[in-house]
Amino acid sequence: MTRLLDRLDKVASPYLFIAPFFVIFGIFGLFPVGYTAWVSLHAWDISGAQGFVGLDNFVTLFGDPNFWNAIVNTLGMLILSTVPQLVIALILANALNQRMRGLVFYRLGVLAPIVTSVAAVGIVFSQIFDRDAGLVNGMLHLVGVPPIDWHADKWSSWIAISTMVSWRWIGYNALIYLAAMQAVPRDLYEAAEIDGATKARQFWAITVPMIRPAVLFTVIVSTIGGTQLFTEPLIFGQGGFAISGGSLRQFQTVSMYMFEKAFRDFDYGYGSAVAWMIFVLIMLLTLINFLLTRHWGGRA
Amino acid sequence: MRKSHPLLHAVLLIAVALSAFPLYWLFVVATRTNDVIGDWPPPLLPGGNLTDNLRRLFGAEDAHFMLGMANSAIASFAVTVAVVFFSSMAGFAFSKLRFRGRDGLLVVLLATMMIPVQMGIIPLYMIMVRLGWQNRLQAVIVPFLVSAFGVFLMRQYAERAVPDELIESARVDGGTTFRIFWSVVLPALRPGAAVLGLFTFMATWNEFLWPLAVLEADNPTVQFSLNQLSTTYYTDYTLMFAGVLVATLPLLFVFILFGRQIIGGIMDGAVKA
Amino acid sequence: MRLRGRRAPLAIGVCALLVAATACGGADGSEEPGRTTLVVKTFSQFGYQDLYKQYESSHPGIKIKEENIGKLGDYTPKLQQWMASGSGAGDVVALEEGILIQFMARPDKFVNLLDHGASSLQGDFLEWKWKQGLTSDGAKLVGLGTDVGAQGMCYRTDLFAKAGLPTDRDQVGALWPTWDAYLATGQRFMTARTGASFFDSSGSVYLNMLMQLSDHTYYDTANNLVIDTNPAVKAAWDKTVQMIQAGLSGNIAAYSPQWNAGFKNGRFATIPCPSWMLGTIEKQSGPENAGRWDVAKVPGNGAVRGGSFLAVPTQSKHQREAAELVKFLTSPLGQMAAFKAVNNFPSSPKAIDEPAVRNFTNAYFNDAPVGKIFGDSVKALKPVYLGPDNNPVNDRVTNALTAIEQGKLSPEAAWANAVAEAKRVAG
Repeated sequence: MTRLLDRLDKVASPYLFIAPFFVIFGIFGLFPVGYTAWVSLHAWDISGAQGFVGLDNFVTLFGDPNFWNAIVNTLGMLILSTVPQLVIALILANALNQRMRGLVFYRLGVLAPIVTSVAAVGIVFSQIFDRDAGLVNGMLHLVGVPPIDWHADKWSSWIAISTMVSWRWIGYNALIYLAAMQAVPRDLYEAAEIDGATKARQFWAITVPMIRPAVLFTVIVSTIGGTQLFTEPLIFGQGGFAISGGSLRQFQTVSMYMFEKAFRDFDYGYGSAVAWMIFVLIMLLTLINFLLTRHWGGRA
Repeated sequence: MRKSHPLLHAVLLIAVALSAFPLYWLFVVATRTNDVIGDWPPPLLPGGNLTDNLRRLFGAEDAHFMLGMANSAIASFAVTVAVVFFSSMAGFAFSKLRFRGRDGLLVVLLATMMIPVQMGIIPLYMIMVRLGWQNRLQAVIVPFLVSAFGVFLMRQYAERAVPDELIESARVDGGTTFRIFWSVVLPALRPGAAVLGLFTFMATWNEFLWPLAVLEADNPTVQFSLNQLSTTYYTDYTLMFAGVLVATLPLLFVFILFGRQIIGGIMDGAVKA
Repeated sequence: MRLRGRRAPLAIGVCALLVAATACGGADGSEEPGRTTLVVKTFSQFGYQDLYKQYESSHPGIKIKEENIGKLGDYTPKLQQWMASGSGAGDVVALEEGILIQFMARPDKFVNLLDHGASSLQGDFLEWKWKQGLTSDGAKLVGLGTDVGAQGMCYRTDLFAKAGLPTDRDQVGALWPTWDAYLATGQRFMTARTGASFFDSSGSVYLNMLMQLSDHTYYDTANNLVIDTNPAVKAAWDKTVQMIQAGLSGNIAAYSPQWNAGFKNGRFATIPCPSWMLGTIEKQSGPENAGRWDVAKVPGNGAVRGGSFLAVPTQSKHQREAAELVKFLTSPLGQMAAFKAVNNFPSSPKAIDEPAVRNFTNAYFNDAPVGKIFGDSVKALKPVYLGPDNNPVNDRVTNALTAIEQGKLSPEAAWANAVAEAKRVAG
């Protein structure tokens, strides 16, 4: 009897453990996904669905230069923000994982950006990168550089937005790394120390491999987050038509384009098609990430 | 204790300054009057108008700021507790238990993270209409009681933080899976759970698009009421900054509460416990 | 190993919390017996608070609840979601002009107000305002007009004095009988090097010219996109480009933080100002700038932008009562009250001619007779037909003008870009 219960426990409990997620997701998450797919096959205006059009929305999308422009912008800002963000976070976390004087102060200070909302970050940074009264232009002025209209060019707007994104997320990622680093057994370092390994060597040979699951997690989550980048560029782009991401769509991301089509031009069908393309894009990027990181890791 | 390099301190000091500056600036503007917006050079020292701005903030009739804070506190707390609990369970199962379909289900779970959020608004709203939850607080709580992000984070954390031997020896002692989870795994997951709890609380507190869609101005969340402080045609920056400042204080509190073991430098992870 | 955890109470707490979360209620939902609650959905400011009280006391069975969203940009997605789900739109919805135009192709989403005795009210509204809410066959009235964006030209007297220009509003108005004269005045202003630009950004100047030049803009009355064949569009565009090239624009995007700050700092000397913008200018400029802003007539003859409507969605369960409320709120009396409360200029000729409106002056703007200035602007107005995607197309034209201001595109390339973008969005 006990053995039977034991077997039942082993077979059934994994499913019970994951059931809450799948049940609640099934109720509140699955329907929107299916509904979006259905909508993407329809023409739509402000008052609702106006008939089945098959794959028309997708066909139009593939020939839509604004869509491809948004894809390029999204990938550009993704790379510009994710790579420095993760590298800096890793270095910071390692620095914060030492024993030293003032540790609590440093940790609190560096992780502080976590508590700010995107909206607050957006407002503050759009003032910092202001053309006429911004801090950055003010400092450039001191060294004789003429003011930059940060909104006008791709490169400048990408830099401004990526700075905003990185500033907010470095703390997040550093925190994840730090938590993971604390699960690394201390004696590994002590042994390495006895063997005469340098700090840098310890970092690459012990710390990074030991926190690989955390690194993999941050790479995937930042990629997903970066591909869905929305609020920061929206707040950065100012005025009534901010959703277009600049006068020539210099910094419009795919999420912004989706929102513009669905909720500004009231073409919800087309917007849903964009949403599905974003989904496919993220899938591809995640797959690439998986393959790259698997190769990098080799063995644990 | 190993000696720390002076260069390390210098780098960390710069990092702290860069991290804290925008927050400090938020505070400066919140203590000023509207005159300073657009001034060059920008103000770098606090002014004397904080109390005045706060009075206007709490007195702004259409914003329902206090109610927004209370609603967000309830929602964030409920969502955080549920997400941490369910994610720890599922993350542990995905990481350490063997069952049929595990990898397939994990891929499904990951895929759910890739759905662009903005698109779900109309269909999710339709569900809320069916449930009669329009303008009700549960509408911003129940759909978010689980999180794929959370499950994934806890799975990755459990990979390293929960050694297989620990579970094996507990099994030999005759524990059921749930008892092992409760008394062995959960303690080992604590730092990861703290990070997840912190993130979840912040994310729920800062959520804007969905509350705006399903709630109305008379029953808002905190971000919704902050947004109501300005209209299309007029923005009172100091009022808004004062609002953002007040809305950040609870997060600071939660940050210190959850982050205690990570921030405070408790170096012994669960491994040795 | 301790298997019996001391955390069991926590688990129970979690469950209790989940139950509580699903059970803890929202703010409304209960309806008092014998009383009908009408929900009015608005954005920004409509200034109806006193009118609601008045209406409730004269209609004891009615209770009114306004649900307001501060920004129009946040309101429209909600409106769209209410329409798609068939629930949430309340009993009365406010529709901004551009949104109403989009809905005119689907009048079935709204109650025909002609069925509720609105036909007798036609004389209460400016003719074009009435027609905008009426289907082309004249059979269905979707919405009744609230306000119109009556137009003046706001200007900084201190900057004008600095540039050696007259500061008296009649003399200032005489400086620019036409937009060409406005351009010439701008060039004079710029040679004085006050540090300010002549206007904020080109979008609103362009739109003002466009609305005066023809009886239609981007669409003909058969709803064909005519952006590249309507000479009025090109004429307004070319004149605007001339102004940009003369250096008159400050390239400060409307509604941006710089724009908000610009009122106070005197970053631009003039701005075409619809009636409702007076409140914006006063608040953004602050008391220290009182008397520095004034209002003159707008170049050309009258111009109008925007304005809103009230409609009753068919999903309302109290359509008859809601229609009555709409009639009350949009009546000359209701429009006058809204004007006094929040500067929304009436679309009712009766209200416009009322002494309370006609003689209305604004202390902040040197006691400018804004009632008369805006009233004359509205009266001089010729109706302009706006097609379904008018607003999205105009957004794109404005973006193209900004690209010229930023020095990113030549005027020719920007025009080609605007036309291509317009065809894409309207196609």
